[in-house]
Amino acid sequence: MDRREAKDRALARYRQERDWFAFLLEAAGMMNTPEGQLQVKLLNILLDSKQKVVECVENDKPFIAAYFCTAPELFTAMDLPWFMIMETPFLGATAPYIMEDLQGAEEMGLGTDLCTAIRLPIYYIESGQMPVPSAVIGLLSPCDGTTMLQQILRHNKAWHNVPLFCPDPPYTSDERAIKYFAKELRQMVKFIEQHTGRKLDIDRLREVCEESNRSYALWQEYNELRRAVPCPHGWEIGGAQAFAVSQCFRAGDPRCTDWFRQLLECGEAKVKAGRGANDYVPEKIRLLWFDIMPYGWIFEFMPWLEQEWGAILVMDMFSNFPYTLIDTSSEETMFHDLAKRNLMDVPMIRQARGTAENFSSDIVRIVKDYKIDAVIWPGHMGHKDGAATAGIMRETCRGIGVPFLHIGLDLFDKRYTSVDEVKDKVSQFFTGMGLG
Amino acid sequence: MLVGGCDVGSTTGKAVILDGASIVSHFILPSTTNPEKTARLAMDEAVKMAGLGSLADLRYVVGTGYGRLKVPFANENVSEITCHARGAHWLNPAVRTVVDIGGQDCKVMSLDKNGKVLEFAMNDRCAAGTGRFFEAMARVLGCGLDGISSLENQGANPATITSQCSVFAESEVVTLINEGIDLPSIIAGINNAVANRINSMVRRIGLTKELALTGGCSKNEGLAQALEKKLGVTVTLLPQDPQIAGAVGAALIAGEKANHQ
Amino acid sequence: METTIKSRAFEELAAAAEGIMNPAVQEWREGGGKVVGYFCSHVPTEVLMAAGILPFRMRGTGSTGTELSDAFFSSINCSFPRHTFNQALRGEYDFLDGLLCVSSCDHIRRVYDNWKQNLDTPFIKIMSLPKKVGDPQAEWYREEITLLKGELEKQFNLQISDDQLRDAIKLRNETRRLQRELYDLRKAQNPAITGAETLAVMVAGSAMPAERYNALLKTLLHDLNGVNGTRDFRARLMIVGSELDDPEYIEVIEEQGGLVVTDSICYGTRTMWVDVDEQAADPVEALARYYIQERPSCPRMNDDQPRRAQFLRDLIQEFQVDGVIGERMLFCDFWCAEHYMNKMDFKEAGVPFIQLDREYITSGKGQLRTRIQAFLETMGK
Repeated sequence: MDRREAKDRALARYRQERDWFAFLLEAAGMMNTPEGQLQVKLLNILLDSKQKVVECVENDKPFIAAYFCTAPELFTAMDLPWFMIMETPFLGATAPYIMEDLQGAEEMGLGTDLCTAIRLPIYYIESGQMPVPSAVIGLLSPCDGTTMLQQILRHNKAWHNVPLFCPDPPYTSDERAIKYFAKELRQMVKFIEQHTGRKLDIDRLREVCEESNRSYALWQEYNELRRAVPCPHGWEIGGAQAFAVSQCFRAGDPRCTDWFRQLLECGEAKVKAGRGANDYVPEKIRLLWFDIMPYGWIFEFMPWLEQEWGAILVMDMFSNFPYTLIDTSSEETMFHDLAKRNLMDVPMIRQARGTAENFSSDIVRIVKDYKIDAVIWPGHMGHKDGAATAGIMRETCRGIGVPFLHIGLDLFDKRYTSVDEVKDKVSQFFTGMGLG
Repeated sequence: MLVGGCDVGSTTGKAVILDGASIVSHFILPSTTNPEKTARLAMDEAVKMAGLGSLADLRYVVGTGYGRLKVPFANENVSEITCHARGAHWLNPAVRTVVDIGGQDCKVMSLDKNGKVLEFAMNDRCAAGTGRFFEAMARVLGCGLDGISSLENQGANPATITSQCSVFAESEVVTLINEGIDLPSIIAGINNAVANRINSMVRRIGLTKELALTGGCSKNEGLAQALEKKLGVTVTLLPQDPQIAGAVGAALIAGEKANHQ
Repeated sequence: METTIKSRAFEELAAAAEGIMNPAVQEWREGGGKVVGYFCSHVPTEVLMAAGILPFRMRGTGSTGTELSDAFFSSINCSFPRHTFNQALRGEYDFLDGLLCVSSCDHIRRVYDNWKQNLDTPFIKIMSLPKKVGDPQAEWYREEITLLKGELEKQFNLQISDDQLRDAIKLRNETRRLQRELYDLRKAQNPAITGAETLAVMVAGSAMPAERYNALLKTLLHDLNGVNGTRDFRARLMIVGSELDDPEYIEVIEEQGGLVVTDSICYGTRTMWVDVDEQAADPVEALARYYIQERPSCPRMNDDQPRRAQFLRDLIQEFQVDGVIGERMLFCDFWCAEHYMNKMDFKEAGVPFIQLDREYITSGKGQLRTRIQAFLETMGK
């Protein structure tokens, strides 16, 4: 296969994903609601960053692979397009080619007990369907699976010579850990500068961090609105999108702040009018879904939850954050606070990286702040540490008198536990607990 | 020179007697709960059918299968992986991939041009993709194993059965029946589900033509058809009952060992 | 276990691997000695030894179920912590004065959280183990070890001097050296000791005071001197994987005629192939460098797979290995991916390789036998 063909193959899925989102954008555009408009804005930001990556590949311009928890503000400051190697399971899991890809992942021979969100990107890498960047920032947090993804990437002949740097996440969460991780981030910047030719300008970083702070301040305000009864928004708009906008495509970008402003307005309008998430169904159960959305079958499940049970997803793991603002007074404070944010604040890393405290303390806080009626730990097959925390979560919930359900499923592959089975379990739970 | 191969499986016991390059006799019987008894019954019958006086007329016997350690008259035992591969290859030298679907396990072997196993994968931890699975399904549908196997019963639009586990797959099938899905679609769906599982195993090993099916479930035409669709190749037929492939392989190895002595 | 070795020393060592408590530990405790249990070979046991504490590596040996630990772990968790924690909940580890963990893997690190919540052990600590093998990581671990030292001093009301550390390092290195001598015997054409017997001896090394162990090991080496193996075997195998502490598993393999002559497992070469630098000025720094950079790494160390692969190639050559068995416990992400890479590497190098999934408590022996037998047959052995 010549270079041109290899590039095309590497971009094939990525382009398909971009087109899938373009399609979603069109669909969203047809919705005349303010929430529909928010989706349009989000998808535009998403598409723009994906298109930039495609252009970089086509024109041999520098771009990198990185993650939402490797201080994306730095990439914006360096004006460096980037993409997440694990994008597809999170974003494109509803795409029509996913089943084929899941099958491909199985045929590779990797144990099927390894997280699907790890196996899918490995499949793309091993089958040459992942765009090859100028450099890779690898993720070693929060779980064992991510560590192995980087190693298989390195082992792959086509990626073997792509420069790789993985910031090492300490297990503790104190000042010493933050300082250590800040040093790792500084190493990361040097690494990126060396391999992409881009330079980090501290003043530009300050601008980006200040913009990021503005986004987060708005996000925090918006989250306060979700405490309202009824909650103004459900699964369709809120945390998942907010997280995508703020961390996944372009951190610290005025378009993001603008999006949050609009999100806030949307929310405020609804709260003022006393409107709940779903105009046709009254809010009966306020749910905490303690993980990311089941992207592989979200459309088959989430609307059902609302319609069948009046169960509103008031809060989920990715909508919840204690993002303290970044102190932009100096280079040192910025690196310090970026380290803190990316080590201890960003969702999932926050709960799963270290000891189990954040599982229980987050549940307690969220249940209280958001008047949660039931906590669901979806029990995704890849969350081995979470699976071993189920007992602690159960006891925590018992301690605060809130019903707890541990399902056991695959967020991306509906063949693991069928949607019907999940619905059954949830229904039994609600009935058993006298909810809804 | 007469040699014997005895394949003691969980569901059936098979015995083959070879004389040089021809199969003199073979016999299949349902397994008893005692592997030693099963082995004796199978072998004794094969001996009788061959017109021989007794087991002692066989120069060498190789035992294989799940109960291979309990074949008292065997000179040695060899794994069923090696035996199925040898047997299938001898029956059709073009075979390079063997899929053995037995009573309670299924395996895939890839062979070199001499019938030697290069790589293998086994599923012997759960019922999905084995004879047990089909038995359970036949019970639920009330149609018997023939009902699931025959080509004319395979619907054009197989129902989707997503569960990886045969226990959950059973409840899925019950649900389908209750929803009024027609029997042919469900039957095709069951064969499709097993074909999917086998397909994954084959892909992990790598598919090289020709591919042959052995073991009891290889006689399921519906499954063969579903497999052909999934794998994109025609299943090559063996000139003998594919269920005896393991015993044939064992007998062949017995012949080699006898020659060496 | 079945053995042809005629050695009292071996008897005592093998017995220590068969259960959790053993007479040597009993004696230690009766003498007022403290015992701290630990998970993972990255724990700097030298520090415990320097404090006069007996390090005891945690196992779930003898566990018959996980009914108690099921309240805390799930069916998608590794059976090793499930069984070990179950034994602890049953009281089998009530003799511990402390538990020391490192953040080794997603399953084990939660033993720390669940243990803290449910058991009364006085001193429970988890150290932050880096995921890379660079200098900043060795430095981080040096700090972690220093912190550990301080906490032990406080908890057990004692002082750990640099000299005590140096002595502990020397003692531990002596164990390593003796274990390497034992492995040397397995390079022979007909080794005097099987893989199963070796594993029993290695496990015993983590379950009793080092002085006693070293003495027993010296005696065993003496008893095995000049002895020829009596086994009839078809092939020389290497076993690669993780927390394998049950000699029975290897017995099943060896019954089929595959003699295990070397390994890279958590109770094997990775713990003793290299010594801690005794010449270093700062013993804590020497320990950090050893545990992070110098000893053969395991798959949790991110940027080290090529070196691990080379280590395996070297072992294959040194021990004249015919084929490799890669074992892992179900739900282990580290070894799932590591064997995926191993398989490709071995295929390219033409080394026969088979991957086996297992549970912590050895079961499914019939299936294991079939696979091993088939593997040996495919090797043409």
